Amino acid sequence: MSSFFKSRSAQITVLIVSFLLVFVPYFIPWGPLDWLSGKLMTIAAVTNAFTIVIAVYSQFRRSGRFINERRKGWVYHIYLLALMAIMTLSGFIFGQHAGAYEWLLLAVVTPLSSVIYGILAFYMSSAGARAFRARSPQSALLLIAGFVVLMYQAPLTGAFFPGIEGAATYLTDTFGMSVSRMFSISVSIGAIVLGVRMLTGKEVAFLGFGEGDE
Amino acid sequence: MNRMSDEGGIYKKMATYDKRWVYLALFAIVLYSLIRPIGMPIGISAQTKAYKTELDTLQEGDLVFSTWNMEFSGYMELKPGVLATHKIFIEKGVKLCIAFGHFEGVALPPEIFKQLKKWTDDYDYTEGEDYVIIGYVFPNEAAVAALAQDFHANVRVDWKGQSIEGTFLDEIQNAGDFDMISDYTTGLATTNLINHVVLQYGVPMVVNSIGVSVPGHLANLDAGLITALLASTRGGAELEFLINSPGPGLKSMDAFTFGHYSLIIFIIIGNIGHYGWTRRSGARERTGIR
Repeated sequence: MSSFFKSRSAQITVLIVSFLLVFVPYFIPWGPLDWLSGKLMTIAAVTNAFTIVIAVYSQFRRSGRFINERRKGWVYHIYLLALMAIMTLSGFIFGQHAGAYEWLLLAVVTPLSSVIYGILAFYMSSAGARAFRARSPQSALLLIAGFVVLMYQAPLTGAFFPGIEGAATYLTDTFGMSVSRMFSISVSIGAIVLGVRMLTGKEVAFLGFGEGDE
Repeated sequence: MNRMSDEGGIYKKMATYDKRWVYLALFAIVLYSLIRPIGMPIGISAQTKAYKTELDTLQEGDLVFSTWNMEFSGYMELKPGVLATHKIFIEKGVKLCIAFGHFEGVALPPEIFKQLKKWTDDYDYTEGEDYVIIGYVFPNEAAVAALAQDFHANVRVDWKGQSIEGTFLDEIQNAGDFDMISDYTTGLATTNLINHVVLQYGVPMVVNSIGVSVPGHLANLDAGLITALLASTRGGAELEFLINSPGPGLKSMDAFTFGHYSLIIFIIIGNIGHYGWTRRSGARERTGIR
């Protein structure tokens, strides 16, 4: 029995049935099917919540290997595991609204999170300042477009030169948006192709199978 | 070697300046602007005006799903928009169901409602009656789809573990019962909300997004998937101006302006140096520095 559930065809069958249960109600609204689809999605949502346990377990295993083999940066992994243990235990023991957990969150996690985010602004500014060079006619065009949008993004500019909004909006609404749409469409088509490959059994790595495995 | 390093002179220095000068200049400008704000005028974009107009369509008692899909760090950028929008919600007396899509979201309600205390006190806006915080909702496709389809099958208690039964959330069966989705996002769950709430139930959705995600959301705005967009700190500051309630956004606009101008100056310096250096000496080809 267990070998049946481990087989490739059984798992793909489960995948196809689950897919149809969620997919079909979008096109055929029928009460029982909607109900079944909703239940399946709730089960998936609850199951997903438990994946955090797998994530914690995987991190402990990975960091454990780093520490055992004394790989570069192994000390940081001890630090990481200690902090993970402290946060997890304080949350479980005292609860998320208790002083200990809230203090760790508000005094340690959130300021560090904000600092990392703040530092990004420096990296982005520096990279932008040094990358925007008119090395060719194409990059000169990019530079001009970037210059207009940057000027518009500075709030003072709009107050003195209201016309800059039109120029910047033109650039973002035409060139910027077309690129954005192209990206979205590419990702969506890629996802559909991947989905079809998974449903037809051509992509089985996500089930833990290699090529030719049954 | 010396001869080579001398080639280009001032132009080379301008073209290859040390990135630490950018860090130092940006740090000094931002710090000074925050300590000594000048209060420079700002232009109000059409986008922010449209966002305000969209919020003005709400009536007292309307149900709004406020999704704080941001880390605490992202909140630092979105703070002006979050506060200004929620001031409008409180003044209008809409009912708020608040969820967050990141574990750091646990830190947000105390911080945000501390900032909004004057408004909650003035309008007698209370937790449980006027707003319910349902807490962390896993921001992936399955969880958002499940929540949208059957709200009470997925949420039975608020973030403090108290039952949501008997609150205004009893009116919610699925996401279609909300009058608006107000999303504050660094990228978490927004696409899933569009897929499973906007497209499925036709609920209007307004988005307050961090700067780097704005181009992506502009396409959603143009396609009508979202009804209004508030862009980053600047959008928040503009909204503060429109509702005549200065806050952290307007205070940071001097730093925002000078930060952008400093970046532009560095770009100009770099390009003058690059042009002069390559034109006069051709050193780039010989040294291989690009």
